[in-house]
Amino acid sequence: MNSWMIVFKKEFYRVISDRRLIFTAIILPGLAIYVMYSIMGSAITGEVDDITSHEIVVYHENMPSDYQDYLTASERDFEFHDGSELSSDTIDDMLGNTEMDIYIAFPDDFSQQLTNYDDPSYTIPQVEIVYNSGEKYSSNSYSVISGALNTYTNSILYDRFGDGIVAFQSSITDTVDESRATGQVFASILPMIIVMFLFSGAMSIGPDSIAGEKERGTVATLLVTPIKRSQIAIGKVISLTVISLFSAMSSFVGILLSLPKLMNMDDLGGNVNIYGLSDYAMILIVLLMTVFFIVGIVSLVSTYAKTIKEAGMLILPFYFISIIVGVSSMFNGEAATELWAYMIPIYNTINLLIAILTFDVSMIHLVVMIIANSIYVTALIYFMTQMFQSEKIMFQK
Amino acid sequence: MEQILEVKDVKKTFHLSRKQRKIEKTDQKKKVAVNALSFTAYPGEIYGLLGPNGAGKTTTLRMIATLIKPDEGDIFVGGTSVLKTPIEVRKNIGFLTSELKLEDHFTPNYLFDYFSRLHGVDEKDIPIRKENLFNQFGITDFQEVKVADLSTGMKQKASLAISLVHDPDFIIFDEPTNGLDVLTAKSVTDYLIQLRDEGKTVIISTHILSVVEKICDRVGIIIDGKMKVSDSYDALVDKGYEDLETLFFELLEEGDDHE
Repeated sequence: MNSWMIVFKKEFYRVISDRRLIFTAIILPGLAIYVMYSIMGSAITGEVDDITSHEIVVYHENMPSDYQDYLTASERDFEFHDGSELSSDTIDDMLGNTEMDIYIAFPDDFSQQLTNYDDPSYTIPQVEIVYNSGEKYSSNSYSVISGALNTYTNSILYDRFGDGIVAFQSSITDTVDESRATGQVFASILPMIIVMFLFSGAMSIGPDSIAGEKERGTVATLLVTPIKRSQIAIGKVISLTVISLFSAMSSFVGILLSLPKLMNMDDLGGNVNIYGLSDYAMILIVLLMTVFFIVGIVSLVSTYAKTIKEAGMLILPFYFISIIVGVSSMFNGEAATELWAYMIPIYNTINLLIAILTFDVSMIHLVVMIIANSIYVTALIYFMTQMFQSEKIMFQK
Repeated sequence: MEQILEVKDVKKTFHLSRKQRKIEKTDQKKKVAVNALSFTAYPGEIYGLLGPNGAGKTTTLRMIATLIKPDEGDIFVGGTSVLKTPIEVRKNIGFLTSELKLEDHFTPNYLFDYFSRLHGVDEKDIPIRKENLFNQFGITDFQEVKVADLSTGMKQKASLAISLVHDPDFIIFDEPTNGLDVLTAKSVTDYLIQLRDEGKTVIISTHILSVVEKICDRVGIIIDGKMKVSDSYDALVDKGYEDLETLFFELLEEGDDHE
């Protein structure tokens, strides 16, 4: 058996034989995402349902019956009250303590004013609306009432001027590719989150595996065995990669299962299947190459650090940079087309994930990313090996 | 090739960090831990490195074990240079020091197998070797207990067994009885004697004079990184020294006078 394989097996066994580590490093990320996003989704859906099922309490003066008909014809329920006796202070109080959602007052001769629009003395009637934008039911009531008022206005104008009031009619056709649209939703959220969780997965075990061994003094026991330092480095990097990949897959599944709930897209659950086997295979390749790079960084920093705590602190800047790269790319919605973008680690991950999720992937970009990350990882392992050979780094207290 | 261990004119200097300078109360940025140190250990003998704390004993043993490199000079383990072919040297030495720890999460049984494989021990020989060593040090009863749950003595026993997984010809133990109870310490010294009788080259470092007197065939006294005396205990007595303790304190006083 190769020496790196012996190290790999032991490092891997270290994690899989520890229930707490399995839970925190592999199960928890996916579970946390699923629970967090599901709760957020349920809260958002519940809030929307609460508002739309609320019976709108309208206090009015002189509301025309035909306008009231528009309201009652809508899907919302209303509770109408006469508000003619209410003072403005009372209206404010009632809106503030949610006894009233909206107040609407029409002039007492509103219907007559509408018919006398040809009269030279005609003045445009004023309809007064009072609501409280800081209160959710009142704010929503304003949308409903004003929407109905617009429709009512249009019907009055149509009665006055007939077809002449209509300047033009528009014909709108939406040629949206449903899969691509859904893909863009995924592409706007998933890449950044995936990179974040890949990093946090590697960060949760990497420092303990290397800096922890230095801190506890167990690395010296390993260094007096007749195996090359590079074999130790490779064994540790590969084991961390596999475990981090499990962690990333857990996060990925958590995201896929919770996104439909988060985004309140009833049919998105089915739409998750918009991706084929080749798409998932490419995602897996991108994840693997990214994990290799991230684990390489985490391992290198952990080899340099004297303690787990120091390693955690030194890794943080890299973590923040990756988040910044992720955030800066998430609003773009489209993958970069320039070849150089796929040579930059993390940035190439974000762009390739966007490209895959929006069905716009180029094989050349994927190959460039694989080659670039392989070179980076080889260099990182080389430097890590050099560090393993440095007395100063390995044994300085 | 004769299994001789030769330390030839080795020198090791450490850079002192600001923190270390503060602890050692010195302005010097470098500290010479070992200077022009030479000695030879032969098969079938136990060579004891004796010296006060900070004399350079552990540094010398770490250089032999290839954990650190000499700045000058070289060390030959069975004719193999620690500078030129450290991996070959590691194949042939069993090294134990208090700085070598076992991982808490694993059992002695697992770690024995793990280090056996890293040392390239044949799979079929591992159980036999394990049974011998575990019986020798009384590890069998706790072989499936995680290191985290073992007492200091149990951990030391497990470390001893694991340092010998590959049946090395050179055994280098740094303070092997440190922190052990009387019974465990005796089992360790008895085993070292057994290894010597098997023809192995054994080097131990200690600051306990009685251990040297009891088990070492030859002794080297290191003070301030320099070898002051290297001879057999009997030869030292023949030279007129009353006992090792007297010699040791004489050399210590000499060192203080020179400062």
